Amino acid sequence: MRRSTGLLFVAPALLLFGMFLLYPMLTAFSYSFFSWGGTARGGFVGLDNFVTLFTKPPFTTQVPRALLHNVLFFAGTMLIQNTVGLGIAFLLYRRNRTRRALQTLYAIPYLVSPIVIGYLWTLLLSPNFGPVNTLLGKIGLESLALPWLGDPDLAIWVVIAISVWQWIGFPVLLYGAALGGIPEELSEAARVDGAGHWDTFRRITFPLLVPAIGTVSVLTFIFAMEAFALPYAIGGSIGNPAGATDFMSLLFYRTAFDSGDPNAIGVSSALATLLFIVIFGGALAATSVLRRHEQKITA
Amino acid sequence: MNRNRKFLAVTGLAAVLAAACSPASSSDTTSSAAAGGDASSAAGGGDASSAAGGASGDLTIWSWRVEDQKAYEKIFATYTASHPGVKITVKTFKSTEYNTILATGLAGSDGPDIAQVRSYGQLQPTIESGSLVPLDGKVDLTGWDENVIKSAEGKKDGKLYSVPLAVQTLQMFYNKDLFSSAGIEAPPTTWAEFTDDISKLAAKGVTPIAVGAKDGWTLPIVHQVLATPRFGGTAFETAVLDGSKTFTDKDFVASLDVVNGLKDAFGKNVTGVAYTDAQSLFTNGGAAMFPGGSFELGFFSNQNPDLKMGVFQVPAPDGSPSDTPVTPGYADGAFGLSTKSKNSEAGLELLKWMATKDFGQQVVDEVKQLSAVPGVTYSDPLLQQMADNYKNSPTPYLLLTDFRYGTPSGTDLLGTGIQQLLLGDKDSAAVAKDLQDGLAAWFKPGS
Amino acid sequence: MSATEIRTRPSPPPVRPQRHRSVTKPVGGTIGSVALWTYAILALLPLVLMVTNSFRTNAELVTDPLGAPWPPNGQSYRVAWTDGSMARYFVNSLIITFGAVLVSTTVATMASYALARVKSRWFRGIEALFLSGLMMPIHLAILPIFYLFDALGLIDSRLGLILLYGASGVPFSIFVIATFFRQVPAELEEAAALDGANAWQTFVRIMLPLVRPAVVTVAVFRFVPIWNDFLFPLVLLRDETKYPLPVGLTKFFAENSANYSAIFAGLVITTIPLIVLFLLATRQIVAGLTAGMSK
Repeated sequence: MRRSTGLLFVAPALLLFGMFLLYPMLTAFSYSFFSWGGTARGGFVGLDNFVTLFTKPPFTTQVPRALLHNVLFFAGTMLIQNTVGLGIAFLLYRRNRTRRALQTLYAIPYLVSPIVIGYLWTLLLSPNFGPVNTLLGKIGLESLALPWLGDPDLAIWVVIAISVWQWIGFPVLLYGAALGGIPEELSEAARVDGAGHWDTFRRITFPLLVPAIGTVSVLTFIFAMEAFALPYAIGGSIGNPAGATDFMSLLFYRTAFDSGDPNAIGVSSALATLLFIVIFGGALAATSVLRRHEQKITA
Repeated sequence: MNRNRKFLAVTGLAAVLAAACSPASSSDTTSSAAAGGDASSAAGGGDASSAAGGASGDLTIWSWRVEDQKAYEKIFATYTASHPGVKITVKTFKSTEYNTILATGLAGSDGPDIAQVRSYGQLQPTIESGSLVPLDGKVDLTGWDENVIKSAEGKKDGKLYSVPLAVQTLQMFYNKDLFSSAGIEAPPTTWAEFTDDISKLAAKGVTPIAVGAKDGWTLPIVHQVLATPRFGGTAFETAVLDGSKTFTDKDFVASLDVVNGLKDAFGKNVTGVAYTDAQSLFTNGGAAMFPGGSFELGFFSNQNPDLKMGVFQVPAPDGSPSDTPVTPGYADGAFGLSTKSKNSEAGLELLKWMATKDFGQQVVDEVKQLSAVPGVTYSDPLLQQMADNYKNSPTPYLLLTDFRYGTPSGTDLLGTGIQQLLLGDKDSAAVAKDLQDGLAAWFKPGS
Repeated sequence: MSATEIRTRPSPPPVRPQRHRSVTKPVGGTIGSVALWTYAILALLPLVLMVTNSFRTNAELVTDPLGAPWPPNGQSYRVAWTDGSMARYFVNSLIITFGAVLVSTTVATMASYALARVKSRWFRGIEALFLSGLMMPIHLAILPIFYLFDALGLIDSRLGLILLYGASGVPFSIFVIATFFRQVPAELEEAAALDGANAWQTFVRIMLPLVRPAVVTVAVFRFVPIWNDFLFPLVLLRDETKYPLPVGLTKFFAENSANYSAIFAGLVITTIPLIVLFLLATRQIVAGLTAGMSK
């Protein structure tokens, strides 16, 4: 295809993207270099708003805390979806009759709005009425009937678990697809050599899944860094209890729209810029690591 | 060549957009705010008694009280009946996203003429945006509660920017049937009686006090309901504002200990209990008391019409600087005039009416809230009692009325702090210090 | 981002995995089956909860939030559908979501084709720019978006929302579809060119049918978040008659904060179309992902 023709094909997407995504986003970044009085823009202040983020309370404690939670969210999600998700995909691998039905069932939580998911799980896990703790009590596991969302050490993991539960259909589908794409001859050859399921998986299947895992990882990273709806529905805008479920987007929301600070837009835009830099840097780093890894495998 | 020209076109378009879509620069808004101020002060200076119905036009009113839309429409219908030239449209938006909607709505075209605005600290960004017309000398609020008027003022210029609508009072709700079945005849009048009642209720197998500590915002309210006399209420407010005391003061620390000391009365795993769980627990008869705002009343009686409720002021804990029980309160919701309104004269007329007893009484009767207008009467005995309590022994809901003018807000800090206290992660001295240090980021005493 | 870039693949993407593996037994055997179905029940839990609660009366819900729906009571659906004006919100949701998905999928498919076929530094730069859009937290730009809409006269316009959602779907769509185009061998187009077809004809007649699984996958995955979003319509629409379902539902929430069963009925009504869509599209999605993921 010629470049000029190609440009005609690209132009509509570029126009739409430039006008309604790139331009507002760049404008939002530019806001962080100004002082603000409510929604009225004041003078150019250079990096002052960023300095505020790094030197003034509550940001000096809340930004690192929120970032840490985002990172935990990423790590926890990766851990569960790459074990449970991959495990499910592997179990489904040869079940031709039931696979599609099960894949669809697992994807259903993804279809329900995160706000509703958060609300329903809060009900299910409530220490007063919640059936989860009632059930644990009835089967003699009283000691496991914990205040799931009331204990700061536990709450973030519960949020992560709910999130993975909601999204598990996605890695199951992707990994299932990747497994389906692996030539049958390879594992059959291994089987002939006397290798068991696990050996075949470890030596043949898994290395071939690395690219799929890589793609899922990068998407998960972006998703984890932007986490908002579910944490908001579960822990509110201040990350209850005791800030244990605070995330960067919640901090942004609080700073931008819930505070009495006239310069709220300046500081919150600096936060948005910082978040983008973190996401961009992280995704770039992850991609380059993956690329190197891929070269190692294919070499 | 072709390619470059197309790129230029795209960039050019972006540049045009950039010019068109930037928010007003501060000089623009200042001038328009000043113009609004001048115009209206001229009108106000002209004649305050000018005949009603003089100004006409369409007015759009925005509010976050979705549940009260019909009530508002009914109230404003009585106004338009006597002002034939005025047409009023009420639009309501979801409360949790209202701040976002309002900030954008007032900044752009197509916004409201009159907007329901937040109070105290959360009003300041709206004022600083130059979005609201100053109302000094145009709206008469003489005789109103000082704390209520403060909710409508700009922190920087001290001008009045809105007409407060409602007052919320904080007190203890109790279930009369559960009290009498535990052998308690009347609400407690001393701290000893109060703790004694708690033991009696606990012995009966009910949760004595329902608290939804999972939702941090409820906890500063719980603190004020249980322990305001312990830290000194209004006297402490004065001292903290002028800098002679801080939140690390021993009485404030002791007031946090009061809350922590009642932990067992809140039931097991209280930090896992959501606010809505606590509400259900109280309306189901699973809990005997609920420390909350007057705004709970409608929901409680709706959920369980058979519930026999009462309210009382919690007696002063031992060692309190003052022995009188008090009712903390704050102004909640107010209406302001947008500087972008095309019918600002008609809007001003309406705001004037919103400061009258006629309007206040209708709010009481239709919306079932305590009105900010003095002198109204309540048909609901509980509302009347709460209003009387606040009138006789008022004190501000300190963290909300004085410490929401910056980031982090006092209510957020204390909410998180009390959660840590209840979890045993921190002691009350550490929580008080966190509160003080957090507020010091923006709060300067004496300003 | 290159993790899925596949430069050459000898055959067109398989539409479904091969079926000749019945010789080997499923991994995990019976225990595996039990585990899979147990997990399926867990996945269905919220939906079951929504449905059962929607068939209970409000009084039952208040006293026992998680009891059994017996005897079932369908009254709440009537309340939600008529009093809650769900029918109108439903139509708005369909217009906005279908419009946005159509816009983003169309422009992204066209762009992806060019990005996969033109070898040039400029085009690699453009692709990188598009992909950087994946990382932009667009919800945090609500204020500039509002000013932009205000200046363009798009406040209170469903078209505005379609364009906004359309734009926000471009990066993900290109990410998936471009990968797919790269696997389609160039010989097909060369043959078409020899037959005298121009670029557009080749794209529509030859290429589009080949990438259909990818297009369906992208469309479905974009459909869900747009269908469920409520922040943008809430801030950018003014007229209640233009509200999509989630916003209408939040309004209905607030007006009926005490009527939980009607709220659950509303939620069920909101979720059903997504489930139907997903059921219909799973096969295409699996095929699309299979081709996209395989190396």
